Amino acid sequence: MHLPLLGAVALLLQSTTAVFADEAWTIDYHYALLGAPKEETTFFHQPNPSSRASLIYTLSEEGVVGAVNPRDGALVWRQSLKSADIPSNAGFLRGGEGQDVVVGGIGNKTTAWSAADGRLVWTIETPGRIEDLEILELQDASQTPGVKDTIVLTSGNSPSILRVDGASGVSKWTYSIDNGDIPYQVSASATEIFAIVLHKSLLGNIKIKVISLDPVTGRKNDEYTLSSDSELSSTETIISVGANSASPIIAWTDAARTVLKVNIIGTKNVASFNIEKHNEHGVTNVRLHAPFHTNSLAHFLVHFETDISHWGEVYHIDLKKSKVEKAYSLPKINGKGAFSTSTSDANVYFTRISRGQVMTVSSASHGSLGRWALADLGIPVAKGEEAEPIHAVSEVSVKGDSVSAVRSAVFLSTGDWILIREGSPVWQRPELLATTQSAIFASPPEVEAFAQELQLEAHSNPVSAYIHRVTRHIQDWQRLPVVLSSLPQKIRNQLFGTTADSGLTGDVFGFHKVIACACKNGRVVALDAANPYKILWSKQAVELKAGESWNPTFKSASDGILVLEHGVGLQQLQFDASTGEVPSSGAIRVVNPSVGTVQFSLHDGELEANKVGSAASGAIWRFLPGTGERILSLVPRPVNDPVASIGKVLGDRRVLYKYLSPNLALLATANDLTQTVSFYVLDTVSGATLHADTHSGVDLQAPIPSTLSENWFAYSYTSEASDDAPKGHYLVVGEMFESLVPNDRGPLTGKVNSSSLQAPAEPFVMLRSYQVPESVSKLAVTQTRQGITSRQLLAVLPDSSSIVGIPYGVVDPRRPIGRDPTKEEQGEGLVRYGPNIEFDPKWYLNHQREVLDISNIITSPALIESTSLVFAYGHDVFGTRLSPSFSFDILGKDFNKFQMLATVAALAVATFVVGPLVTRKQVNTRWQFA
Amino acid sequence: MLAPKSLLLLAGAALSSAARLVVSIPSSQLLPNPSTLPSSTHAILLGPPGVRYDAPIRRDNTFVFNDIPDASYLLTLQSRDHFFPPLRVDVTKAPEEAAQTISAWQTFRGNEWSNKGPSYGTGKGDLIIAVNPIAQKDFYMVRGGFNLLSFFKNPMILMALGSGVLIFGMPYIMDNMDPEAKAEFEEMQKKSPLMGSQGAANQLQNFDLASWMAGRSAPAEGSGSAPSGGGGKKK
Repeated sequence: MHLPLLGAVALLLQSTTAVFADEAWTIDYHYALLGAPKEETTFFHQPNPSSRASLIYTLSEEGVVGAVNPRDGALVWRQSLKSADIPSNAGFLRGGEGQDVVVGGIGNKTTAWSAADGRLVWTIETPGRIEDLEILELQDASQTPGVKDTIVLTSGNSPSILRVDGASGVSKWTYSIDNGDIPYQVSASATEIFAIVLHKSLLGNIKIKVISLDPVTGRKNDEYTLSSDSELSSTETIISVGANSASPIIAWTDAARTVLKVNIIGTKNVASFNIEKHNEHGVTNVRLHAPFHTNSLAHFLVHFETDISHWGEVYHIDLKKSKVEKAYSLPKINGKGAFSTSTSDANVYFTRISRGQVMTVSSASHGSLGRWALADLGIPVAKGEEAEPIHAVSEVSVKGDSVSAVRSAVFLSTGDWILIREGSPVWQRPELLATTQSAIFASPPEVEAFAQELQLEAHSNPVSAYIHRVTRHIQDWQRLPVVLSSLPQKIRNQLFGTTADSGLTGDVFGFHKVIACACKNGRVVALDAANPYKILWSKQAVELKAGESWNPTFKSASDGILVLEHGVGLQQLQFDASTGEVPSSGAIRVVNPSVGTVQFSLHDGELEANKVGSAASGAIWRFLPGTGERILSLVPRPVNDPVASIGKVLGDRRVLYKYLSPNLALLATANDLTQTVSFYVLDTVSGATLHADTHSGVDLQAPIPSTLSENWFAYSYTSEASDDAPKGHYLVVGEMFESLVPNDRGPLTGKVNSSSLQAPAEPFVMLRSYQVPESVSKLAVTQTRQGITSRQLLAVLPDSSSIVGIPYGVVDPRRPIGRDPTKEEQGEGLVRYGPNIEFDPKWYLNHQREVLDISNIITSPALIESTSLVFAYGHDVFGTRLSPSFSFDILGKDFNKFQMLATVAALAVATFVVGPLVTRKQVNTRWQFA
Repeated sequence: MLAPKSLLLLAGAALSSAARLVVSIPSSQLLPNPSTLPSSTHAILLGPPGVRYDAPIRRDNTFVFNDIPDASYLLTLQSRDHFFPPLRVDVTKAPEEAAQTISAWQTFRGNEWSNKGPSYGTGKGDLIIAVNPIAQKDFYMVRGGFNLLSFFKNPMILMALGSGVLIFGMPYIMDNMDPEAKAEFEEMQKKSPLMGSQGAANQLQNFDLASWMAGRSAPAEGSGSAPSGGGGKKK
């Protein structure tokens, strides 16, 4: 009798979640990011020397090397070089002219990648850290024809210069710099290699020393010191040098930036130029832009910046006389600007991007070859804010005497990387999202307000609720004109469109949630979960000094107000979720925990709990980890964790009662000496340990994630082979029950209330351990509105750059061991326990996308019960909608509106056609006699 | 990638070690052209706690691990579109020998570490092994959508269509037949066991439940009233 019901239950439990082919690229979204590109490691390069098509290569501040297609901004390939102990800003990337590889260096590794597909060509490790890296443009007999060698300058205990073979990655010669000077840069002319080292004098000044080397043998030809006198006190005022330009130069300024000194490397005289001021605003930054090709004209541009304006001056080098002369200057323009250098044959072009304008000039004369007004950049900026260009790279096509096309990849002060083609933006990449440190889901205030009104009606007495409802409906009539005018659009959307087409408000399913992301540079960016490729708003929340971090965390997002706490003076900021504005003072509310609640926090390696408002100061309990143990992580049960049923209904209609305490936390500790990890389930009110487990032989360098939800917990670790377990990665799932006897509540039988403080009942824990194919770096659980939908365990797999959604039925600790499940257990969807779980490719939420370095996943319920919104951030940004028990309350993509209408229409036609036939037949049967 | 502490631990071993493992991916049935593997494909050599090497794919479809210290390793290959089998790699050094011995076997998740599968090879100081993918990742679930062809393949639909053709087509065929053939046809139908007044179908239609209940063995000859439209036409 209850077979159909059982079947329905089984269907709910066995729901294999999968990515449907028709939803795969539409409901999920992904920003494949690189991070903020650095000026000196970003360039256009042709991956295939025989073709003219070029890609944009960059090594970002996040230590990711990648290539981007300039046509649409799509990522072609990327390799992450991130490493904990290497500062991300010390990286180099070079592409030799006509080479099919790009060479990069970070830390003490120099690596060459295939420019077209990003595969490794060779890699070498040097004992010291890489200080500079250049591609030797000149060719000699010792190298493979067509392949250019690389010169690497390293620091460390024995600073040295290496020449590395471009084809094999084998070092050809090494020259050690052994006189205690600091290696600074390496440069090459057509005949010599120059190492620029810094010599610290006794007075603390810096002297620039140039060592010239023979490129074939690596022997020293010459060594001399430049007369920089006392003006050079720190390396900050040395301006980087265009390395392989026809005539390499080194330039520096004094500390006050009033004099510019230029030296042509290889000569000893230093040219000196005065730097002018602009309306009493001193120059704050000087940059140098020179062509990188040996056969181009020896011209360069110096870019001056003050607080309010910027300008450029073009200099020519007379190679015969070894003289530097100023050729012309480009006018001062308010605001920041970016200059970029491009070459075409021997000619050099400078492209200037400033507020509202793009201009290209030839290095030979100041006449503009092309000038375009800059259209709207398509970047959301806050009121009163201007998206300023920070740096740019350009590619210029020249036809005859004029510039026919110019493409510039510009990095903006908002953290976006955009491509401008002749003044109109082509694509935008929000690279600042690669540094997202905290994110939260929020509902727009309008949606929240409506939900509150409905709640008001539900909780007041019937009469006042009725009056409230009538007044609300009368108020709704005011919106009639708006509704009527949007009606045709709505009908059209209903017929052909999807839910994602509607705006933030009027969202019936709750898919349009605002996702606010706080980024490393002090900005907050908001995305719409159902329309994610359009950024809702972006705002500089805090002005940070260079090198300062602000550790933002979102505290709450109730009532559509985002509350952000950050480390700069432990301040709190509030934003309106849908606009990013600071809410009016009336809306600001300070949320204080009510008196009597127990708060717990980590202090100096121990866990401490305090009672809010209690007179006696001091902790009510402390959790001290055992000797040699340190606390790895603490995961409390989520605040919003609705549970639909207090028990688990078994196949024979009996019930196992879940151990549901709102005050649970899972604590993980590690012991570095014994290489063990312990997990404790704590009652956070009493501090009692409800369950503890220890695993030995654990790799403590590998990630150890854990999660806790409802009455179950999960954690993962990587372990060494032992007698009872093979080497590999493990996932452990534990479920807590009040008792393991069905229909019995154990010690809680007959009790209505129970307290954690008075003789708390301990849970009965069922545990299952599984071996998984790869390491898991983060665990999370889906959330739905009422918790009726079965939950899904989300796991981030860093090795395959993916996120899997594991159905709970697969890891259920009630899976029978050593025997096949009984008929009743089969009805529940339980299968026989196996020690191994293979991740089904259909569980991969990211399917074919590759999500790099995800540090956290957040989930949020939609308005409909079946669906949970998922958002993952870290380096990449990924989000999707999940229906762990399929979309039972919404017509999904599988419902074909057109087919339904066509069927109705066909039936109607059939009725009209067949109707007369039947009537005729009926008449005939009465009147016709055979 | 390598923790400083374990680096120290291994430093002694690493000084003398020059063990080199090359994993190559040959062309196979599942992967006819290994050069199509994305550049994110990489191999992970997981050693004792804290030891882990990661090698990206090279241009020649290989992964190279240099200077591997003595230990027992788990080798996994990660690729966007393919699954590769997990391997166990042992690097050992006999005291009297100069070079390390590297051996590789297939291993099985959820089994003892000592449970080794087929050997992939053994080498002195240097080992090159070839690994083939075991499966292609199939990420997408295809909905059982509406398909006109499969709709018409359904036997029920075919039967319905067949009977539809008979109902609508028969009268026309009968009308267009010349009278002689028609008469002959009707005669034939009457004789057929299924049709006609003696036919099984007719008998079933005119089954007299009351008389059967009353115990009469067979209906009397001609007791069933002839249907007005004629058997053939009605059918």
